[in-house]
Amino acid sequence: MSVLIDGASRILIYGIAGNFGRFSARDLVASGSVVVAGVATGRDTTPIEGIPVFPDAHTACRSAGATAAIVYVPAPAALDAVLEVLDAGCKVVVYPGDGLPVQDAIALRAAARQRGATLIGPNTPGLISPGKAKLGFMPSHCYTPGPLGLISRSGSLSYEAGWRLTSAGLGQSCCIGIGGDPVKGLNAAEAIELLHADHETTAIMYLGEIGGSDEYALARYAMRTDAKPTAALIVGAAAPAGKKMGHAAALVGSALDSQATKVAALRAARVHVADTLRSLVDAARAALG
Amino acid sequence: MMMTEYAGKSLLLAHGVPVPSGLLIHKSIQVQRWRQSYPAAIKAQVASGGRGKAGGVVRVNRQEEAEDAAQRLFALEFAGERPSALLIEPWVEHTRELYLAVTIDGDAGGYSTLYAPEGGIEVEDNAPIKYAFGAPQDFRAHALRALLSPIERDAAVRERVIALARRLLFIATSVDATTVEINPLAVLADGKLLALDAKIVRDEAAAFRQADIAAETTRARKREPRMVQRALAGNLMMVGLDGDIGLISGGAGMTMAGMDMLAAAGLKPACFLDCSSNPTPAGYQLAFDLLDAEARVKAILVSIFGGGTHVDRVAKTLKELMENRKSRKPVVIRINGTGRQRADAILQEAGLHNHPTLESALDAMVAAVQPR
Repeated sequence: MSVLIDGASRILIYGIAGNFGRFSARDLVASGSVVVAGVATGRDTTPIEGIPVFPDAHTACRSAGATAAIVYVPAPAALDAVLEVLDAGCKVVVYPGDGLPVQDAIALRAAARQRGATLIGPNTPGLISPGKAKLGFMPSHCYTPGPLGLISRSGSLSYEAGWRLTSAGLGQSCCIGIGGDPVKGLNAAEAIELLHADHETTAIMYLGEIGGSDEYALARYAMRTDAKPTAALIVGAAAPAGKKMGHAAALVGSALDSQATKVAALRAARVHVADTLRSLVDAARAALG
Repeated sequence: MMMTEYAGKSLLLAHGVPVPSGLLIHKSIQVQRWRQSYPAAIKAQVASGGRGKAGGVVRVNRQEEAEDAAQRLFALEFAGERPSALLIEPWVEHTRELYLAVTIDGDAGGYSTLYAPEGGIEVEDNAPIKYAFGAPQDFRAHALRALLSPIERDAAVRERVIALARRLLFIATSVDATTVEINPLAVLADGKLLALDAKIVRDEAAAFRQADIAAETTRARKREPRMVQRALAGNLMMVGLDGDIGLISGGAGMTMAGMDMLAAAGLKPACFLDCSSNPTPAGYQLAFDLLDAEARVKAILVSIFGGGTHVDRVAKTLKELMENRKSRKPVVIRINGTGRQRADAILQEAGLHNHPTLESALDAMVAAVQPR
């Protein structure tokens, strides 16, 4: 078993009838993931892209045995849709949407934990275990199997990083997009624990940014005597203080939020830190040893 | 989005939290409407922190002083914002100042309560104690009491603080607030608590179900520079910066990474511009229109690594856009991601070069803007 998903994961796409749901269905099937069901509410249940479609998550899970789900609905509908797939019994759920009220993120995180499930997101492209399974919409060609575990707060930056690592021959065990919001279903500390426990992961690379405190979880982990080697890139050095940089949590309010303070804390914990994307591969190599 | 003190206090009062009875004025002459006693406090109403340290709160002893103070305060700027209103309140005698807040805490996966037995404007230097409970349903008064007991010896104050902490949490969840902070929270001679200030930050993502957040977000946009206003109206995420290289990107992390690489190459980004919220022909057209029209922008870097954004569609848009574009500012392109191969073919056919890496695109940009 790898981290959270593998070839045995049976995937449900909630919101499969929309443009993005259809694209994701084709993309997941092409990547070799096992998509067993789609849910489209308020519409007929004609199969989409050859995938059986159900009117609700409960029926989809009972009829098709789905165990993992990705939910494509806009933020105002997210609370109910994600609760529905959690209630239906899915144990790994990705909610990629952005603009989710933080109250709803708190409620969904608590609901997932109560049911022994893991929520990834909001505001994430999902996760991929290269060569095994994908539960997200990151471009598959950027990834290849290998020993590096990757954690990212940003989707686009993780594709760029994956592509650079793959081009340099550095494969990945699992790439987890934890998302750019302040309250996450799976936060950095929890993602690090998953990669720490995974036997196929020998080193961990973290892609962070200004604002929030997730980067300090990596610094705390790196100081543990049993820690795996770690590397990091923290973006936002050129961002001015007091302005929100796209992500809800990417804002420098105090010194602890800044790129410089985070990098200093990580370096003090002996994390291999890349200054910019230019030295990302070098930092990963240093961590892999 | 931060509410002004007056709006925040109105919200507290509506939820049964005592605040001083004040008067809101929009012109200094309106000080004459103040019929309550002196001394009074006159406070600038602005949507940013650090007001106390910036001289935005003045004590006045009689009406003439009040008019002078009001004129001065209306002329001051706080983080670039002139106060549109002042709040006049009676100067309340009190025995102690406390600090109490409930705020979003990512590490806790929800909310934390913060308390310090000494409030005031220097509170950030004396770290408050933190009760990190996370989900609202996990708040426990007895757990907060156990944390407060060693630092708050006055049992009567402690119990009032615990009850108020619960109330602030209720307010935060009811109005989609990410922070509800009272600093200072006064203890009066009779032991009752009074909120002398209110800092309430609302969650902009909740605008779809909180009409006042939607209205305030619209008002806040109108204070942005014109270029940023037009970008936001077109559903592009833009923050204006003071450099001269236009950066058209996608995704917050990738856009910041591009800004950092520009800076490392000795160049200065003119903006943070994330087009992933509207990756359509209209969205990219608007991005180019804005940067082409902005005189200080010397050249444009398109840096996109698309996942959900299909870069072959981006390439098609760029092809059409460049064919009809009038501006002669240099454009450097580097796109990769979903649909990369088709994108390369489309750009090549249009005679546009797609740089294989961000490094090579930056080298080209440095060469393009070099003084001749």
